[in-house]
Formats: sequence, structure tokens, C-alpha cells
Amino acid sequence: MRIFQSWRYPANWTIFRLDDRLLLILVAIIVGSCSGLASVVLNRLLMVMFNWFHDLRHYWWIFVLPAIGAALSSLFLEKVVKEGAGHGVPEVIYSVSRYGGLLRFRSSFSRLISSALTIGSGGSAGPEAPVVISGAAIGSNIAKYFSLNDRQRITLVGCGAAGAISSIFNAPIAGMVFAIEVIIGEWKSVNIVPIAIASVAGTEISRILQGNQIPFSHRLFNISHMDILACVGLAVLTAAASILLTRLLRFMDKISKKLPAPLWIRAAIGGCAVGLIGLFLPEVLGKGYHEVQTMIEGAFSQGLAIVGLVTIAKIVATALTLGWGGSGGIFAPCLVIGCLAGLTYHHCLALLWPSVSWVNEGCFALLGMAGLISGMLQAPLTGIFLIVEITGGYEVILPLIIVSAISTTLCHYIEPAAYYMKELVEYGHLLRPGTDARVLSDLNVSELIEKDCIAVTQNMLLRDFISIVKKSHRNYFPVEDEETGHFMGIIHLDDIRQYLFNPVMYDTVFLGQIMNTRVEVVDPDDDLADVIRKMDANRLFSMPVVINNRFIGLISKGNLLDQYRRELMVQTSQSV
Amino acid sequence: MKMTIHEVARCLNLHVSTIERWIRQGKIPIQKTGNGYLFGESALKKWAAMYRLPFLIPEKVKSLGYEEKPENLLSAMKRGGVLHDLKGDDVETALKFAVENMPVLSKTSKKELYQLLLERERLTSTGIGKGVAIPHPRDPLSDALKSPVISTCFLEKPIDFGAVDDRPVFVMFILLSQSIKIHLHLLSRFSFCVRDNSFVEFLKTSPDEAAFFAKIADFEKQLDRADT
Repeated sequence: MRIFQSWRYPANWTIFRLDDRLLLILVAIIVGSCSGLASVVLNRLLMVMFNWFHDLRHYWWIFVLPAIGAALSSLFLEKVVKEGAGHGVPEVIYSVSRYGGLLRFRSSFSRLISSALTIGSGGSAGPEAPVVISGAAIGSNIAKYFSLNDRQRITLVGCGAAGAISSIFNAPIAGMVFAIEVIIGEWKSVNIVPIAIASVAGTEISRILQGNQIPFSHRLFNISHMDILACVGLAVLTAAASILLTRLLRFMDKISKKLPAPLWIRAAIGGCAVGLIGLFLPEVLGKGYHEVQTMIEGAFSQGLAIVGLVTIAKIVATALTLGWGGSGGIFAPCLVIGCLAGLTYHHCLALLWPSVSWVNEGCFALLGMAGLISGMLQAPLTGIFLIVEITGGYEVILPLIIVSAISTTLCHYIEPAAYYMKELVEYGHLLRPGTDARVLSDLNVSELIEKDCIAVTQNMLLRDFISIVKKSHRNYFPVEDEETGHFMGIIHLDDIRQYLFNPVMYDTVFLGQIMNTRVEVVDPDDDLADVIRKMDANRLFSMPVVINNRFIGLISKGNLLDQYRRELMVQTSQSV
Repeated sequence: MKMTIHEVARCLNLHVSTIERWIRQGKIPIQKTGNGYLFGESALKKWAAMYRLPFLIPEKVKSLGYEEKPENLLSAMKRGGVLHDLKGDDVETALKFAVENMPVLSKTSKKELYQLLLERERLTSTGIGKGVAIPHPRDPLSDALKSPVISTCFLEKPIDFGAVDDRPVFVMFILLSQSIKIHLHLLSRFSFCVRDNSFVEFLKTSPDEAAFFAKIADFEKQLDRADT
């Protein structure tokens, strides 16, 4: 009977208690499969919607379709499931660093539906970020179901994200690298192994249900030395495109926030604008994988001017969709924009040096994708592995690495925070493991309180106080009101040292006269980073902790260092 | 041995809420079950060693914090005895007679003590004023005493001790202790007595042992009252 009761608490089984790696791997298989399934569901949904609306494409009023989709998705997010707009990846990263990866159950499907509405109706966004948050929420809730602790839950959130990306791109390594590089931010074997397994599970689910196909297959490219040299230029172009996209997204976001209208109307306006662009340049609509495929095959037969225009249009359309409140991710638009940028670059090269036999334009399209993904996410490894896997083109690995590396670096110069991290960095919410901010956010004031202070009253004579000083171990003495016990002020030995040796003052001075009443106090719920900032600003070594006017204890830098160091040791040791 | 997480927190010298948070975050190998915590002490020790966290069993913690029981004057004085009408014309001879007549210590340690006392006198006089001197070695004796000793020596005639107030010394308290801490403790208690002028006057009458100890016991009571 006990076995049946304990199956929900696998972490307490004897075999998993001392080493939970095996447990994590087993649960990772479940999480990876579930999140893989979620991404297959979204993929199917998008396909169904694409087929529905495909026949309507030739009507003139079709431009309102993205508006309806975006408005519905916004309404659904805001009113039905009550979740914030946006793609949700920052939410996952923040939850991982602050709340041990706790995510709501409804997150596991809400973004799937809203992004299906946005993208299916023609909005320029990607299905990847929604499946990432779904996968992460699935991982988090499975961990909650099995009562796992924070560390294990974080790993499973990573597993969910990895399974989702692996499944949607049929790219297990990219999924794994994305989860570790972007979501968790910590390369440790305890994380890597379960996440790798989850990637395998996610990919396998997608292969069983959708067949094993490389999303963007291509012919073999013959890359010469000149092409590798030319990559540098491409990297600069993709970096510029990423920065343009980032800035434009933020700009659109700002404008839309100024508009005095409900969220769903804003989303509708954005969608409407996208639809209008789509009337003239239908390439910008939807996730655009079909266009990517055409371009990589080298079958996109437009001239330089058109390609350049489409590139800009796609950037604008993406900014309109996402910046105005549509729901979706940045991955797929990045791939399309990257392709277009690569193509533009190829056309430019062919125009400038017609005598050189450049490699097929598909190759540049492919490299452009890597450049844009790396630049936007500032995650070079994710860019490299993703492109290699979704194109099956290992022979382009050398120029690929160059483009990714240069693009990431250039973007980092101009936009120090990656797209996913920007909001987090702005609010000081990016708390990667092993950083000062993370240690301080983990510690809290109540753990640091030292309680061995002797309280005195304001009507006490200095003579009586001296006998208390003899017995105490501390330099600080809180002064409390005799009747109410309220905290009045504090006496620091340094302030009154000169009076201590003057016997004349012993019977003439009351403590109320020498206490310091203008003291900064700390509440146990205060953020430790703020407390330290206050200490540094006022050059304090200790601060009294006060709740409801009552003195609780002292918080001092000495004890803080002790605790800080232990926290850092436990957090960063590589052995586990 | 069964441990509670409060004991674990004490072993690691951490707040219980830190331990609870670590359990929640999975940083420490303790599992939370419905009604308690599950962990192995040896696994915990291994874990602490891996992260180089100090892990001390509470008994050890207690013995580290254990304080030496403070001695009081009376027992030390009883051990050291009271000498009356001690001969001597100057510091050296007075000390020599005093040390020779002390009821405790072996012959070799007496020699050592005498040298140490002279050495100490050369640094500065131990005459603390009002005709009282407290000769003592600067560092504890080499064959450590088990408990402190104070020998009270009333001199036959006052001698010049080079005291701070230049008054001739009529009584010496030779103070021996096994550690600096006890030395300071006894010194502070003793100085409390000497501060009282009536006590000095009482000493001038060269009282007998019983009366002297009664007086000291009186002071001790006062001191103990002030401490609590």
C-alpha cells in the first residue's frame, strides 16, 4: 500500500535520494515527450489554419485577417487565461532564476492557442517561443506533481524547452544548446544530461508523428576561400538587420503603449498593418518557412531591389506583429529575415564582382539565418547548431561559425542585452547562477539577523549602561521605549566612546540623549540588494531590523560576508 | 543518531531558514516528506566536505565555547596563605623571603618565580599605590599551576618599592595564575578591593588570617552582586 502512496514522491525513494540523476533522466523523458507533443500540436494547428485561409488569399479584404487573429489572440491572453502579452521566454528565464522555475499550468497551453491565432491568420511571428514556454510550463508542472525541489524543477523546465525546440525543428542538439545557453545559463552535467535526453525524446515524438525530415534541405554547396572571406561582410549585414529589428520592435512597443486603446485594439491595428503589407508582398505573412525553403534551394527568383524591399518589409511586419501585441516568437521571423538578408548580400556581391564565381545563393541565405539568430539571441552556439541541423548542411560549418561569432559580437557592442534578456536586464531581473545578483536574491534578510543584542531604555543612566556594555558582545545597543517596547533609536559604541571614560557624565546623561534616532532600518522582507545599497550609501556596517516598530535584531556586513560566501560556495561548486 | 534540521543548522552554523531554503532549492541532500525531513548524517557530512562547509557536531561546538570557570579571590588567597612580619630591606630581599616562605611550589619553581618577579619589577614597579604591591610574573610559570595562588605578605617594615605614588609598600600580594585571562580576572577583582580606602587602613593593622579572609569574603559578595 505504501508503494502506491509514495509513487508521487519519487525523490524520497531510497535509490533516488542520494543521487537524483537517474530520476531526472526518467522524468526528463516524460517532459521531453510531452513538450514534443505540444509542438507537434501547434504545428498541426498552424497547418490546418494555413489550409483554411489559403483559398481566401486572393480576396482584397484579406488584409483584415491578421488583425482579427491578433485581436483574438490578445483577447484570449488578456481576458481568458489572464497572461501577459509577448512571447513569454523572459518570463521563463526569470522564473528559473527567481522562483525555482515555477510556472502556471495554464502557461502550458495558453501561448499555443494565442500564437496559433496570430500566426495562422498571417501575423509575422514564429511558433518557437510559444512552444518553449509551453514545454517549460509542462516541465515545471510535472516537477510540481512529483514534488521535486527547485534545482530539479529548473532542470525539468530546461528539459521542456529543449524538447519543444528539438521537436519543432527536428533538431535535438539545437534544442539542448538553446535550453542550456538561453534558458538555464549554466553548463553543468546535472543539467546537460537530462536536457539531452529530453531533446532526444522530443525529437523522437516529432519523428514518429511527422516523419523524419530535415526542414530545409538543400543541395551540396561548394564553398571556396573567397566565400569565407565574404562571410565577414554578411555578418555585418545580419548584425545590422538584427539591430534594426530589435530597435524597431522596441519602438513599436513604445508607440503602441502610448495609444489609449485596449490591448486587443492595438493588436488589431498592428495586424491590420501587417495585412496591408501582405497584400503587396505576401512573403512577409505567417511564419514563412515555405519562403525559407525556396530561398535555400536557390529558387527565389527576384532581383536585388525586390529582395531588399522584402527584407525591410519582413522586419517591419515582424515589429508590427510582435510590438503591437500579437503573440508569437522571434525565431521564425529571424530565419526568414536572415535568409532574405543573405540573398540580398549575394545579389550585391554578384553585382559588384560579377567575374567571381560565388557559391550558390542558397548558401548565403543559410548563413544569413545563422547570423540573425546569433545576433538576436546573442547565443552563438544555438545559432550554429540550429542552422546546421535544420539544413543538414555540415559542409557550411566553417563560414557558419564565422558569421555567428561576428554577428553576436557586433550586436553585443551595440545592444548589450540579447532580445530575450532585454526586459530582464532593464528591471534587474537577470539573475544568472553564480552572480552577485543571484546570491543576493537567494539570501534574505531574516536569515542574516543576529539576535544577541541587549536592548536598553531611553531613561537609563550612562552608569547603568556601562555595566551592560561590560556584559555585551556587540557595539550596538537598541533603545526601546519602556512602556510600548517600540524601537526608538540605537547607540553605537563608537559614537559615545569619549563619554564612557568620563565619570562625571555617568549620572548626568540619559541614554535618550545620546542615542542616534535617525537610523535607517531594515524590514525582514526588504530586498537584500537594496539593504546593501543603503549600507554602502551611508557607510554603515550594521543596520537594525525592525518590524512594526519593534526591534528584532541586527544585520551586519560581517555576518553577511559569512553567509554570502557559503551561498556562493553551494551555488557555484562544479562538483555537483 | 537521529538529528533534527535544527541540529543540522547548528552543525553548519547557519540559520534554520537557510537550511529550509536550501532544502526547497535542492542545494542540500535532505528530502522533505509530508511530515518531516529525510537525510543521512554521513551523506550530509560528505556533502559539507564537498562544498568545504564546516560541519561541527554540537557537542564539539559546546566544548569550544566552554569557558574556564572564573576563580575568586578568596580561594586563591587561602591557597597562597598569609605571611606576617616578613623581613627585607629592599624589593629584592623582600621578594626573596616572600617566595621562600610561600606554602606552595617546589624549590626549582620558586627559583624560577623569583627570577621572573625581579624581571617584572625591572619593567615597571608593581606597587599600585597606597602602600600595596602585587608582584607577579609577566607570563605564567613554566610548570603550570592548576589553580591560581595569591600569597599575602605583610612586611615587617615598609620598603621603598618605586610605587606609582612613591609611598613605601607595607603589604605585597604575590599573584600567580595559570593563564592571562585568570590573571586579569583576579587583578580586576583585587583592584576593586584596594580602591576602598577603609580596606587599606584595615590592611595596615596587619590583621590575622581569619579576619582578613572574612573581609575578602565580604568584598567578593559585593562584587558578585554587582556582576549579576
